[in-house]
Amino acid sequence: MRNPTNYKIALAHLTSRGKQTLVAVLSVTFGISMYVFMNSFMSGVNNAQTDLAFSTLAHIRIYNDLPEDNTNLMANLEDSNTVIHLRNPKVMQYTDGIKNSEAIIHSISTDEGITGIAPQLNINVFFRNGATELNGLLSGIDVQYENDLFGTAQYIIEGSWDNLKTRNDGIIMGAGLAQRLSLKLNDNATVITADNVSRNYKIVGIFKTTLGSIDNGKAFIKIGTARQLLSKNMGFVSDIQINVADYNKAPEIAQRLSAKTDYKVEPWQEANGQLEAANGLRDIIAISVSLTILMVAGFGIYNIMNMTVNEKIREIAILKAIGFDGGDIVQIFLTQSIIIGIIGDLAGLFLGYVVSNLIHLIPFKIANLETLPIAFDVWDFIMAFLFGLITTFIAGYLPARKASKLDPVEIIRS
Amino acid sequence: MIDTNNDIALKATKISKYFNEPQKFQVLKEISFEVKKGEFLSLIGKSGSGKSTLLYVLSTMDTDFEGNLTMNGMDLTNKSQNELAKFRNEHIGFVFQFHYLLPEFSALDNVMLPALKLGKYSKEEIKKSAIEKLNILGIKDQANKLTSNLSGGQQQRVAIARALINNPAVIMGDEPTGNLDSKNSGIVFDIFKELASQYGQTIITVTHDDDFAANCDRVIELTDGRLL
Repeated sequence: MRNPTNYKIALAHLTSRGKQTLVAVLSVTFGISMYVFMNSFMSGVNNAQTDLAFSTLAHIRIYNDLPEDNTNLMANLEDSNTVIHLRNPKVMQYTDGIKNSEAIIHSISTDEGITGIAPQLNINVFFRNGATELNGLLSGIDVQYENDLFGTAQYIIEGSWDNLKTRNDGIIMGAGLAQRLSLKLNDNATVITADNVSRNYKIVGIFKTTLGSIDNGKAFIKIGTARQLLSKNMGFVSDIQINVADYNKAPEIAQRLSAKTDYKVEPWQEANGQLEAANGLRDIIAISVSLTILMVAGFGIYNIMNMTVNEKIREIAILKAIGFDGGDIVQIFLTQSIIIGIIGDLAGLFLGYVVSNLIHLIPFKIANLETLPIAFDVWDFIMAFLFGLITTFIAGYLPARKASKLDPVEIIRS
Repeated sequence: MIDTNNDIALKATKISKYFNEPQKFQVLKEISFEVKKGEFLSLIGKSGSGKSTLLYVLSTMDTDFEGNLTMNGMDLTNKSQNELAKFRNEHIGFVFQFHYLLPEFSALDNVMLPALKLGKYSKEEIKKSAIEKLNILGIKDQANKLTSNLSGGQQQRVAIARALINNPAVIMGDEPTGNLDSKNSGIVFDIFKELASQYGQTIITVTHDDDFAANCDRVIELTDGRLL
């Protein structure tokens, strides 16, 4: 056990050089607060980006994948003496969509971690009004579940999402699509399928998500109406969209679910690698910038502690002469930098929190954002605290070790 | 190796030391002598005679030497730095030419420091004994002042009190009056003399001051690294 006298000496050093101590504390505070702010800001951006993406994208999608490889149908015939002649082969899709969706939904709905399931029947169609004809996606949906999953109702700018519940011939159209077709609320829109079936629907709502590809090419009808359009049975869907509690765990859950069904179960990461890559890159930027700042703060402490050691060099010599050993000297100087580190660290966490909240007030009205996004994560704070401590420990230990190795005779005789 | 002769405070046997810079040079040449308990001894000699070097060897701070050093019956050759630090703390008191007190601490705190490091007694006991030492040195009234506010003579007396706090076997002084005027030099000398005669304190000092040396119990003179 070390002597409490060492702490007393450390404190005396700190308080006798108030200004330098303050500068050292502030450099840590600045570094830590930048770390907290940068990471909270990047988390906020990531969340905003992900929220935006998940306004049309589910965490997991179940659909009927086409046969994967049709190019070499004879691969399994090993008899080399057989001559094979194939003429004009075609890919033939035996099944289309998911026929028994209720059974699948029932079997997967028990899986923990799933927060919502929405069946969809997505059809590529032509929208027509007079001579104008545009192709797009007609999405047959369950009015309640669709909104539960994607919050589509919040994007309605005219009419109402719930109108779909009561109108079997209702359609809700993207704002861009409606404009290009010169259609307004309560107008009729014609939909033509690939099988050349044509139907008229009444526009009961117009939505705007700010995602151009959606607004310019998508419309919603009730899933039952969509089945009628394709002459399909009850239970027929093209997609089952699933949301989970933690979207980062989608791949694991998808793997669990795929054991329960023959259809393709695809987590969002698989289909949208760019989203994950962007999130990852932003995190790397945030961490590298804030660690750089922390390192600069570390150099600041190193510098100040080095100056302290040089200034106190005669005191160190006399302390060693009267019986303080190397460990005591290390403790005296390391204690100082750790005190600086802890105070600066805590102040930095607080400052980072305050700065982030102030930044969060700055208006930024682009896409679905109102202000600059900030998201706090306890882990960011824990990491900031740890990095701060590690930095000050290293920055303080090096000068302390140097001090402990000084030869007192040389100093006293010079 | 335990020395059975209880009257001997310090024994140096064939101590030699070399400087390697700028070229190899023998500073101390097989120096042997003994210091009795309660003896007030001065090391004198011209500049470069090796007297300070010898003192630092005796003080255990300089371990780069050949020969044997025994203090208070304990062999101090080939001990680790930390063991020696502990030994110095308990058995040696230092008084240097410059006082080397901690300027942030009061006189009392400075005196208490080696005893707190030793950790043998409670804080209260240490405080009591520190005040006692300051009283012996006639600066009890300055106990709570910061050392930076004391005069040079007062500071040197605080340093002597600090050297005494652990009741060391030997007090070592490196030109303890070198930085003081004649009046304060006289005071410090009288204190040393009194410590040796009344309290039986062993004292070894290096000095340039011929008056100082002349009034000691014993004088050892070094010339070119040898005892005269």
